[in-house]
Amino acid sequence: MSGEGFEAAVDVGGTFTDVALSRPDGHVAIHKVLTDARQPTRGIVRGLSELCDAAGVPPRSIARIIHGTTLVTNALIERKGAPTGMLTTAGFRDVVEIGNEVRYNTFDLGLKRPEPLSPRWARRPIRERTDADGRVVTPVVPEEIIAETRRLVARGIQAVAVCFFNSYANPDNEMAAVRAVQAAFPALGVSASSDVAPEIREYERFSTCVANAYVLPLAAHYLRELAESLAAAGFMCPVYLVLSDGGLAAVEVGLRHPVRLAESGPAAGVVMSADLARKRDWRRVLSFDMGGTTAKLAVVRDGLPTRTYQFEAARVHRFQKGSGLPLRIPTVDLVEIGAGGGSIAWKDAMGLLKVGPESAGADPGPACYGLGGDAPTVTDADLLLGYLDPDFFLGGRMRLDRQAAERAVGRLADALGLSPVATASGIHQVANNNMATAARIHVAEQGLDPRAHTLVAFGGAGPVHAYGVARLLRIPRVVYPRGAGVASAVGMLVAEPTAEWAQSRPVLFDRLTMAAVREIVADLRRQAEAFMRGLGVTAFRVTLAADMRYRGQGYEVTVSLPDDAVGGEDREPMRQAFLAAYARRFGRTLSNLPVEVLTWRLRATADRSARSLSLDAKGPADGRSALKGTRPVFFAEVGGFVPTPVYDRYRLEPQAVLPGPAVIEEDESTIVAGPDTALRCEADGTVILTFGAPDEAGRPWN
Amino acid sequence: MAVSDGRWDPVALEVIWNRLIAVADEAAVTLVRSAFSPIVRESNDFSCVLFDAQGRAVAENTLGIPSFNAVIARTMKHFLRAFPPETWKPGDVGITNDPWLGSGHLPDVTIVAPIYRDGRLVAWAGSVAHKSDIGGAVWSADTHELYEEGFRIPPMKLFEAGQPNEVLLELLQANVRLPEEVVGDVMAQVGAGEVAGQRLLEVLEDHGWATLDPLAEAIQDRAEAVMRAAIRSLPDGVYRDALETDGVDGEPIRLAVTITVRDDEMTVDYAGSSPQIRWGLNNTLTYTDAYTCYPIKCLLDPTTPRNEGSYRPIHVLAPTGSILNPTFPAPVHARQLVGHYLAAVIYGALAPVVPDRVIADSGSTPNLRCLISGQDREARKFTAIFFLNGGMGARADQDGLSCASFPSNTTAGSMEVIEAGAPVRVWRRELRPDSGGAGTFRGGLGQELEIELVTPSPATLSLFVDRIHHPARGLFGGLAGAPSAVLLNGRTEGFALKGRSLIRPGDRLVIRYPGGGGYGPPEQRARDAVRADLENERVSPEAARTVYRLEDA
Repeated sequence: MSGEGFEAAVDVGGTFTDVALSRPDGHVAIHKVLTDARQPTRGIVRGLSELCDAAGVPPRSIARIIHGTTLVTNALIERKGAPTGMLTTAGFRDVVEIGNEVRYNTFDLGLKRPEPLSPRWARRPIRERTDADGRVVTPVVPEEIIAETRRLVARGIQAVAVCFFNSYANPDNEMAAVRAVQAAFPALGVSASSDVAPEIREYERFSTCVANAYVLPLAAHYLRELAESLAAAGFMCPVYLVLSDGGLAAVEVGLRHPVRLAESGPAAGVVMSADLARKRDWRRVLSFDMGGTTAKLAVVRDGLPTRTYQFEAARVHRFQKGSGLPLRIPTVDLVEIGAGGGSIAWKDAMGLLKVGPESAGADPGPACYGLGGDAPTVTDADLLLGYLDPDFFLGGRMRLDRQAAERAVGRLADALGLSPVATASGIHQVANNNMATAARIHVAEQGLDPRAHTLVAFGGAGPVHAYGVARLLRIPRVVYPRGAGVASAVGMLVAEPTAEWAQSRPVLFDRLTMAAVREIVADLRRQAEAFMRGLGVTAFRVTLAADMRYRGQGYEVTVSLPDDAVGGEDREPMRQAFLAAYARRFGRTLSNLPVEVLTWRLRATADRSARSLSLDAKGPADGRSALKGTRPVFFAEVGGFVPTPVYDRYRLEPQAVLPGPAVIEEDESTIVAGPDTALRCEADGTVILTFGAPDEAGRPWN
Repeated sequence: MAVSDGRWDPVALEVIWNRLIAVADEAAVTLVRSAFSPIVRESNDFSCVLFDAQGRAVAENTLGIPSFNAVIARTMKHFLRAFPPETWKPGDVGITNDPWLGSGHLPDVTIVAPIYRDGRLVAWAGSVAHKSDIGGAVWSADTHELYEEGFRIPPMKLFEAGQPNEVLLELLQANVRLPEEVVGDVMAQVGAGEVAGQRLLEVLEDHGWATLDPLAEAIQDRAEAVMRAAIRSLPDGVYRDALETDGVDGEPIRLAVTITVRDDEMTVDYAGSSPQIRWGLNNTLTYTDAYTCYPIKCLLDPTTPRNEGSYRPIHVLAPTGSILNPTFPAPVHARQLVGHYLAAVIYGALAPVVPDRVIADSGSTPNLRCLISGQDREARKFTAIFFLNGGMGARADQDGLSCASFPSNTTAGSMEVIEAGAPVRVWRRELRPDSGGAGTFRGGLGQELEIELVTPSPATLSLFVDRIHHPARGLFGGLAGAPSAVLLNGRTEGFALKGRSLIRPGDRLVIRYPGGGGYGPPEQRARDAVRADLENERVSPEAARTVYRLEDA
């Protein structure tokens, strides 16, 4: 992991496979090929080979390949994993089916819950028991394990999740069961809940473990096939995987804990934003990634993406919290909103204009794609408002049908009793407001104020909407990195090897013995060292956090602990850290109530040399002006269409300053900047928007 | 954003309404995360609301349970009657838990706070939430007057100009079992109100508005219009249903409903229901109203955001002195044991009119609650609460949900967390085969819980159990779900089903949660579905053969 030499990154998305190649001097070349849905590794090898050819770099010179994949997420959504069984404590075979019992939508009588990944007949009760203190009350009987597994295998089960009650407190029984299964059925995929997510709360831990087992055979097959195809094409270097929290890991992690890859792709985009934040020393960044179906927002604090442990996969309703399968894995804390270029606008029962969450997707896509879609979408509205050029979509590779957009938006306008322009503007505004509202809550939940942030905008639609979203949030600065459509691939090139381990051990704070804590931490650290060794990393730093709460509460606050918090016998620094974190989140602390610790978390991050990457210049340096022309562009804050200069991003002079309004086009996206802004072009091609002269009240338009 | 000709355009209203709901949601998140009451966080037993300056509700948080449907709007009006607008100052906070003014029992505390902009009252933030304790005979229906049920707070000021009412707080703390937690819960509500106030001011500033007042009407009128259109789509007529519940002391309770649909209005009259009783099962009219409107909204207009305008066309009547409109000081503590059933009679009455939309009766009506409290080995106090649920009724096109609260919406916590905090061993929590009422679509399954007390000293077992004698009814030929059953050391007697009992170390308690009713004749159930149930042991071979008439079983 030197960070030297040539490195490549591959991000496999639903439509495109993006590849990026960095040279030793930090220059990055990018390339896009269509994803091969049936055999994604073919698209990967083709993309890498084509890019290497074009760049004149022989495959064997590539020192490492970094890979982000939606394989795991898709397998969970499409239910394409292995037939999975469960060996679980007698009396608890239905934990993954009963769940937390809540109806995630209070008013929906037709509500559906996600089907468990392992059907009831395949969830076998085992006589065993560990108590809450970690004492084994009833040891497992290997013969029973083998007999139950044999029955499952006979019925076609290919993966087994071992999920025992209280195993977070002591993994011995689960490990004994895993050994018995592996000895008798070496070909079977096996996961233990105490290995995948050793945290208290049986539903979340079991759910994570079953999901892991479910994708285990698939991940193994895929990673093997990838290694073989790469080798066949001359790529002999190691492959690293991007985890859901934006960290990098060796392939072995994907073979043992594939569930940690669930948010692999989206996490990489946030890593790119975080890298930008670190290099420019921006302490508060909001990463804003808007694509065809969704917009994703994440907070980056002090150069680090904020994380969460509450991820849900394969939701019944994509944007409905509680309708998915809980996964207790560290993920980048993304909020996902049903607002993308393809999101459909409609009129609800109350006569109000709604946007999303239904999306026209890429096929048939927005009406203006001319592929048969006739529903008005965000992209159709953006086209009619002059934000997009029908002749320069995707760099001119796709022509947009303006009349089709007019027809689709016109029908909705008639239904709403508004003019077509007011309707298009309404669609744009409602989408922006949906994103701004979600961002406000997300930022506020962390005790922060959106106004203190810098917005980093990417994804195909991000730069089109960032100006409006920033206005609503009163964010003073928007940053547009080069290559809006390949940000995830670029993010992978700057990702660091990092991973996190957790261990639950609930205890009242006053009864905590620091020696016991040091033992837990030492154990977590051993796992970190083994992980880093697997990557060939010797220099890394660790940080410790604890999930704490007042006794009697149901939610914990994850508290970052100071380095020396567990070194001595004094518990006070830990208590102070909790009180500070609690006060930041809730505005006050409470007196006289006992504090408890539930879970310890250790994060290890490798030290990488901080490299500055910049995208290769594109287009001939023929000295032609960057100004392509002028077109009317709609800005509601000035009440209509304004003649607006349109620039070619690739020809912008470094340090050029452009007054708003302005439109700047690149192949994958378009920057739209209103009249009250100024844009500056940086040497590496980054464009920065600042709000210049807002209206007299300093008020954003709505 | 324009208000043209005094009318809101569909973009402006969409944007602003969503933003206000988000403000209420943010207040709700603050409340839940900092609350101590397990009932707040596990049952979503709270609500956060924004009002305009006149106290009309504008936006309500998205999640929440029916207890609070539009109730707080009435409580707000009582506050304004007790303290007219001009008597409030910035930094004031009002409080009450009167069951007749709020959501029907003393643990639910309502907090309201005025919001000022440039010295002018522009809006209100309010919340109502269940407390960890309120004194009195908690967790028991064995009360004969409200006075036995705890500490009653009439509408009062909790803060005046930012200064806490220390006298009230001291009295409150002196009258509850968990003074720190209860004050913590009250402060969580105050904190939620502060968050709502700050955010609301930002919204007003962003949009350059002086008040929310024009908005309240626009929102409520639109919500009302949708509900009226939905009622108009039903055939005019008079629809009736009645049922009996276990009641107390072998004395069943009768609930009768007559629903009159005329044009775009609906009157729900509970004449014929039992008179009020001397047990804490009485429903104040506010609570009756809330649990009447909720199932109707699920049925007719599930998508309009929570809003009191939706309920204007619905008129709820219950005779004074009846169990659904008792006179003060009737005991009301366990009112949910009756109020939850209102959904069942309403759907029973409307089943012939909207057969494709109603659901069969739910085994999870009413919530079955079990709590064990005492002292552990080291003489520390502990409380273990089990909020598990029976099965929901079957739908016209799919099986009922297993283990799902209806019409309430309780979250069940983790059994590991219970074991880590209390000397209780959980031996079993598993689906209960054959508990879902048989039908073309099967009722949701209940579950079976088995626990053991592992402390050296006796402890108190509190139960709220119903449906022992009255299982969830099926619809259109669907069969009833399995009834509740409770066994202590294998015996069904020797403990109170709606009250407190002593249990001893080593005692084993088994609770069988009831299943939901079925929909349609069981012999018409798809054969593959019966076989799948059989394979997955949701249905026994015997039931498959005799009830579902599966030939190859």
